[in-house]
Amino acid sequence: MCFGPFPLHQTMASRKESAASGSSPLETPVKQIQIDGLVVLKIIKHYQEEGQGSEVVQGVLLGLVVEDSLEITNCFPFPQHTEDDVDFDEVQYQMEMMRSLRHVNIDHLHVGWYQSTHYGSFVSRALLDSQFSYQHAIEESVVLIYDPIKTAQGSLCLKAYRLTPKLMEICKEKDFSPEGLKKACIGFEIMFEEVPIVIKNSHLINVLLLDLQEKSTVADKHELLNLSSSNHLEKSLQLLMDRVDDMNQDIGKYNTYCRNLSKQQQQKQQYLQRRQQENTQRQSRGEPPLPEEDISKMFKPPQAPPRMDTLLIAGQVTCQSVIFMGRSLF
Amino acid sequence: MISEDHVTLKTGVMMLKIQDLLLSDDEEDTKRVVRSAKDKRFEELTNLIKTIRNAMKIRDMAKCLEEFEQLCRAFLKSKTIMDKEGVPQFYIRLLADLEDYLNQLWEDKEGKKKMNKNNAKALSTLRQKIRKYNKDFETEIASYKEVQSCSPDAFTSSSGSDDDDDEGITAKSLLKKKPQEEEKKAPEASKFLKGAADEESESEDDEESEDWGSDSVDSGSESEDNEGAAASLAVVFLKKYDSRRKKHKKKERLEEEADEEAEAEEGGWEKVKGGAPMVKEKPKMFAKGTEINSAVVVKKLTEILQARGKKGTDRAAQIELLHALAGISNENNLGEGILIKIKFNIIASLYDYNPNLAAFMKPDMWKKCLECIDELMDILFANSNIFIGENIAEDSENLAISDQPFRVRGCILTLVERMDEEFTKIMQNTDPHSQEYVDNLKDEGRVCGIIDRLLQYLETKGSTEEVCRVYLRRIMHTYYKFDYKAHRRSLGLQGETKSEQDQEESEGEDSAVIMDRLCKFIYAKDRTDRIRTCAILCHIYHHALHSRWFQARDLMLMSHLQDNIQHADPPVQILYNRTMVQLGICAFRQGMIKDAHNALLDIQSSGRAKELLGQGLLMRNMQERNAEQEKIEKRRQVPFHMHINLELLECVYLVSAMLLEIPYMAAHEFDARRRMISKQFHHQLRVGERQPLLGPPESMREHVVAASKAMKMGDWRTCHSFIINEKMNSKVWDLFPETQCVREMLVRKIQEESLRTYLFTYSSVYDSISMETLSEMFELDLPTVHSIISKMIINEELMASLDQPTQTVVMHRTEPTSLQNMALQLAEKLGGLVENNERVFDLKQGVYGGYFNRDQKGGYQQKQSYQRGKHHSHQRDPHRSRSCSPVLLTCVGWMQLL
Repeated sequence: MCFGPFPLHQTMASRKESAASGSSPLETPVKQIQIDGLVVLKIIKHYQEEGQGSEVVQGVLLGLVVEDSLEITNCFPFPQHTEDDVDFDEVQYQMEMMRSLRHVNIDHLHVGWYQSTHYGSFVSRALLDSQFSYQHAIEESVVLIYDPIKTAQGSLCLKAYRLTPKLMEICKEKDFSPEGLKKACIGFEIMFEEVPIVIKNSHLINVLLLDLQEKSTVADKHELLNLSSSNHLEKSLQLLMDRVDDMNQDIGKYNTYCRNLSKQQQQKQQYLQRRQQENTQRQSRGEPPLPEEDISKMFKPPQAPPRMDTLLIAGQVTCQSVIFMGRSLF
Repeated sequence: MISEDHVTLKTGVMMLKIQDLLLSDDEEDTKRVVRSAKDKRFEELTNLIKTIRNAMKIRDMAKCLEEFEQLCRAFLKSKTIMDKEGVPQFYIRLLADLEDYLNQLWEDKEGKKKMNKNNAKALSTLRQKIRKYNKDFETEIASYKEVQSCSPDAFTSSSGSDDDDDEGITAKSLLKKKPQEEEKKAPEASKFLKGAADEESESEDDEESEDWGSDSVDSGSESEDNEGAAASLAVVFLKKYDSRRKKHKKKERLEEEADEEAEAEEGGWEKVKGGAPMVKEKPKMFAKGTEINSAVVVKKLTEILQARGKKGTDRAAQIELLHALAGISNENNLGEGILIKIKFNIIASLYDYNPNLAAFMKPDMWKKCLECIDELMDILFANSNIFIGENIAEDSENLAISDQPFRVRGCILTLVERMDEEFTKIMQNTDPHSQEYVDNLKDEGRVCGIIDRLLQYLETKGSTEEVCRVYLRRIMHTYYKFDYKAHRRSLGLQGETKSEQDQEESEGEDSAVIMDRLCKFIYAKDRTDRIRTCAILCHIYHHALHSRWFQARDLMLMSHLQDNIQHADPPVQILYNRTMVQLGICAFRQGMIKDAHNALLDIQSSGRAKELLGQGLLMRNMQERNAEQEKIEKRRQVPFHMHINLELLECVYLVSAMLLEIPYMAAHEFDARRRMISKQFHHQLRVGERQPLLGPPESMREHVVAASKAMKMGDWRTCHSFIINEKMNSKVWDLFPETQCVREMLVRKIQEESLRTYLFTYSSVYDSISMETLSEMFELDLPTVHSIISKMIINEELMASLDQPTQTVVMHRTEPTSLQNMALQLAEKLGGLVENNERVFDLKQGVYGGYFNRDQKGGYQQKQSYQRGKHHSHQRDPHRSRSCSPVLLTCVGWMQLL
């Protein structure tokens, strides 16, 4: 999967002037996200037009930070680029887009990115890396996850996520070993934090919506209780199962690693004991003790499997199971 | 070569160049080699030494090196003689001289510089070589040098005179004396050659005289005979030779007296051979007037046989000679003993005709061979007082006509076995699709006939071991043939359609009876494991071929061959594979689909059926198999007329797999741990699915795939039409002897299995279904339907019950839906996950437990009450499964909802 849009440092520079007047983003983290109706529609439209099946669409979010809330006022899609046009310069494209938008007096500050998802399978390494680089460059950036399937069933599903500060630190250190994660005391539950979303429309639009609501029939409210979603259920169940399989595999790997490690520990202990015995014998005989050897050289610890993937899968499983439950409920 | 030479030395029989017989008149190169091995070797050595010395003289180091290497080789060859005689002095001398010479050259820096590059290089190589080589002869060389220092002039003289100290003659002495000889002979030679005196013949003559030299030296008085000789020089030489030979003989054998005359005759004959124009008289082996008796003939025979296996011997001519000899002995009524002996040898030399093991006999040779063996058998049958055997020693033979029975050395069984092998070879090497193959195959009858006669013969005369061997041969020619007579007889068609000839044909025993008799004899009497194994396999094969499934199966199981066949040699393994395949096909014909599948599984799953059955080589890259291996493998191939049809085999396998697999697949559609019964069948299905455009089936495989698809839907009619139709009939089903039975069985099986599949697949749609409808749908009678369904219910394959009064099947609807099935699978997987997790935790206890021991306590426990129902019965320690608890909760929660 390709995570196209990425943070532009140049925008950071340009932001500094504006940030100086507002509250510092470092002090108060984003507590709420206010999305313009326009952005929501644009994202939906983008997926409708370009995303088919399990394909993922992505785009760049533009907006401003106002006190402790992030206002996303506009966005633009990121083109699906195929293998054959190599000369396509993503950075150039983003720059161009933002410059053009600026020219027509639209918010041009980069505040994150959005991505569609297929049955909630979005928690992945790529997303993590991408969001990390965003948050690293632009403190307040978020990732909006849009679930088209659920939306098609009648309930708009849009979620905003940020990496927790803890995870940011780990990612900064790039220490994904079991010990590192243990020290950081991180679990899959606290890797991402969801930020509440508020959709804001202009008064005119609100009026229109109210108008429409009165005209529309109430009948389709019962749709929610329909069990015709069993198709989707099966599908997400399938995906869930796949993830569980992955997880199982990972655990297996980790298991072997642990076993190897403990075996080696034992060997090491034995070796040391033998050494000691020999040395005491030698001492009693009046000979000089054996020279110390580098034990770590003799017993190279086995390569620890990176645990981050496991965490991610666990996160994914949780996320999917939640979504799944949601599906089965509606 | 050496051993052969020894023979020459011992017996003193001259070597013939039979080749000469075929030469035209004017070609004269009668070079008779009459030398002891020692002489020959020594001459070779001396010649080489001479060239070396010459090369030394002209400082040609390259030549020197080359010759020296040859010399070493020649010396090695004559090792046995050297061991007996000691290393000849002249050899030592050369070694010493050469080393001195080389050292001298080496010291001479000036000279070395002048040498060209090649020579210089050769010099250094040679110097190193000789230094190393001479180490072996250190003592000899030292003693030689000592002698040399004492009387230097003894060795410094020319090479001609210095070999007096050699014991016996060396070739050098021969060289020395040669001139004298030539002087002596010159006038006579010219006299003799006045007819065709050209230079060529003259030089040839020189050579001859060279050859003769050693003799003249050996028996000095002989030269006097020379002068006194009367007519032609050749006669003189031959005479001389003969007398010399006699001397040898006196030492070694004591049967001369009677032979003297014969020898003289022989001499005369030799002369004829030596002379050019004797070709026409070829058949005349003995001079006129000779009294031909068995001793003479035997001698002649041995003479001819001496040349056997030698280089340059014309094998065809040898065979003819033997034939002529047989004729002579026949004419003179020398008795069967001799005749048999000659026949044995004719056959042996026929086999010898091809030096290469891979090559096969030419048709005319083969015909001759068959005739010969036939005649031999005739004689053997006609004369019951002939004893033949391998163990009869050459000298205890009794060939002459006397009161005692004949005793002849030789083994007819081996000859026949070899003949059989030759026959196989011929069949292997003939294009199976040509008329030639058919023609060759016609000889099979003769081969069988010979084997039969041999069998009769050995039954009266042979040992049990031999009888076993010949029985096995007989079995090998019987087991793969379908006995149509017996088949017809069993069908009771015998009297109706048979003409008289057929009647006659059908007289003999059923092959089954023969097989039974022969095999049982072998089981009882054989002591070599191999023959018994082969016999059992053939017996099973024969049973299977004739649809005696239970006998075949029981024999296979009782023999326990399956356990240890992997230790057998490849031909037996091939036979085993053939037997298994035949067994499988037999089971199929009998409607034992499962057995058929099991029997064929091993062969088919490897995808190398062709190779495993010895019916052809698979194309493989050369790394896996070099040319040598390929040759060996080629030799193992089964001749075409014994092949098992591979398409039939595959079809039988696939159809059995279909009949087993499709209902199984339908029954276990949602089973996560479903196993494939037949990988190959699945492979074929996948191939079928991958096809972008699905036309009507063409090949056998496509037919089976199409039929499988129809069966999956429970559509037995379509399935039937795909499996049994014109195309498939001609390709497969018509190959069975009882075509109609097989087809009927197949239809019935298809109906039954389709019914089962239908019930598995669509039971969820029905609340109840009438058995009558089912019986109509599948054209099965009611009891059958009843029994099939009952069986399914008993085996818990179908959740239903039978309602007797209404004759309906009432479904219980306990089968979970696909979603439920998936949930079950997920639950199972999660169970596995938890187990794995626990394992990690066990390992980590105390060391790394903190990771899991975070603040979440209780969350899972609280919801334990959700865990109910059979799917979540696994009891866990809640503390341990923390990391995946949310998933489980979800699942459990969801299960409640459904």
